[in-house]
Amino acid sequence: MIQKKSTSLLITIMLSIGAAVSFFPIYLAVINSFKSQGEMFRSFVSLPAKIHFGNYIDAFQKINLLNSTLNSVIISLLGIGGIVLCASLAGYKLSRTSGKLSNLIFFLFIASMLVPFHSIMIPLTRMAKSLSVQGSTYGLAIIYIGLGVNMAIFLYHGFVKSIPRELEEAAQIDGCNEYQTFFRIIFPLLVPITVTIAILDFLWIWNDFLLPLLMLTDSESFTLILSTNTLFGEYNKDWSLILAALVLTAIPVIIIYSFFQRFIMHGIAEGAVKG
Amino acid sequence: MPVRSFKKYFSLFTFVAPAFVLYAIFLLIPTLGGMFYSFTDWNGLNRSYDFIGFGNFVEALAEDPDFVNSLWFTLKYVLFMIVLQNLFALGLAVFIESRSRSKGFFRTIFFMPNMISTIISAFMWTFVFAQVLPQLAEKTAFAFLDQAWIGDPNVSFFSILTVSLWNGVGYMMIIYLAGLQGVPQSLKEAALIDGATPFQTFRNVTLPMITHAITICFFLTLNGAFKVFEVVYGLTGGGPGRSTQVITMNIYEEAFSNNFRYGYASAKSVILFVIILIFTFIQIRVMKKREVEA
Repeated sequence: MIQKKSTSLLITIMLSIGAAVSFFPIYLAVINSFKSQGEMFRSFVSLPAKIHFGNYIDAFQKINLLNSTLNSVIISLLGIGGIVLCASLAGYKLSRTSGKLSNLIFFLFIASMLVPFHSIMIPLTRMAKSLSVQGSTYGLAIIYIGLGVNMAIFLYHGFVKSIPRELEEAAQIDGCNEYQTFFRIIFPLLVPITVTIAILDFLWIWNDFLLPLLMLTDSESFTLILSTNTLFGEYNKDWSLILAALVLTAIPVIIIYSFFQRFIMHGIAEGAVKG
Repeated sequence: MPVRSFKKYFSLFTFVAPAFVLYAIFLLIPTLGGMFYSFTDWNGLNRSYDFIGFGNFVEALAEDPDFVNSLWFTLKYVLFMIVLQNLFALGLAVFIESRSRSKGFFRTIFFMPNMISTIISAFMWTFVFAQVLPQLAEKTAFAFLDQAWIGDPNVSFFSILTVSLWNGVGYMMIIYLAGLQGVPQSLKEAALIDGATPFQTFRNVTLPMITHAITICFFLTLNGAFKVFEVVYGLTGGGPGRSTQVITMNIYEEAFSNNFRYGYASAKSVILFVIILIFTFIQIRVMKKREVEA
């Protein structure tokens, strides 16, 4: 029994050390973002002598925070909304329809999940240019829908199987047409998997870097991540400013994380198991 | 009957078309187009181009040392990531699952880095590697911290690994935690009564029960690691020179550096696709066999 207690204590200590190491970079970024450049270089590890907001005011303007955040929000919401709408319709119908055509379409969607983004980024950029969706936030959201529906369809397809067909038959007897049946009866029942899909897609779209980098050219339409990337390139040595920008960029996800932690973790586990 | 089957196809069409059109434009056609142009010498501008068979592929693998080096560098990275990421994630999951009160706290802390965008993580760590660690080495007794964390390719390989692990372990940990919660308590208790040590219980009861989670995490790590881009882009930019360049970066450079070798860059993309496909296929084949039903 004594031995068991000491092992348990040892595990707690190890986890605590690990947690401290894991948290260290975030701690460093936060405390140094409140220091002036001079104070920072005297010691990176000590707490700031006086809270110094100058870096944040500077970073706020330089990454055009409000505008960039708005762009990220628009792209994420439109992207997620589009993926959920298109994929739930398609996933439901493909799941309920038997036959070669239906199977072939479903296979096409599923097979494409293995295509790495870096293998299509060159033709995709050309395609976006020729359709002139390149350079616009709305265009980028539409591209996210095109790239994201495959996984969402896969998850919806599996989930629909657990919904009894009798519900649809009853609705149809009551005079609903197909579309009414879907939006009034089926879609509300898909909420659990919709939440999972929305979370996974939010994490993907909000944190994505390469696609916005290829698609957005005008700094007015930059996402939060892209603006910070530009700042990092321009003010290479100005670390206190950069750190403030990094903290500002991380704050939205940390807030969302603290509110939706359970949903996010559940969503990841769910998405992985089904995948 | 023809009316009914027309109705059936019409309804299938209206439900599937929105998703399929966008998917076709932005994913299917680019995939097929990239494969098509990988066999040509198209420069991306001219109207005319010639088919050159496997010429681009031969050139990439035989005459392009930068590409081959990036390939080896990526393979080394993938290998380290698969082993270390799963080891850390599973270890953390097992330890955290064994806690009672502090479970939620540790889970929150270890998962948090995963919320932060990879590129932002890389910038954050650039600060740690370039500024903080050298200063710590100077001021404290930890002299070994004074390394060229970003400048020396041999060291920066491990810097890249560190950032990737910091950013990625949390995600796998969540999947392993979910897997561990699916192991029936009664089985573990039975093993305990039979006199198994905690390690034996883990080795012979828990591990076989979570092979499904292991398969998934290996799959996700393998796929993600081959596609590594942001960490390297943010940390070393592929440098010094091209010593830490990964495949995706090599493709990126080839495609967007105005070399105007569209066909050649496409061939490199196809090589990446095929490599990932082969490795994934082998991994799934090998690991699916080991899974047991609960």
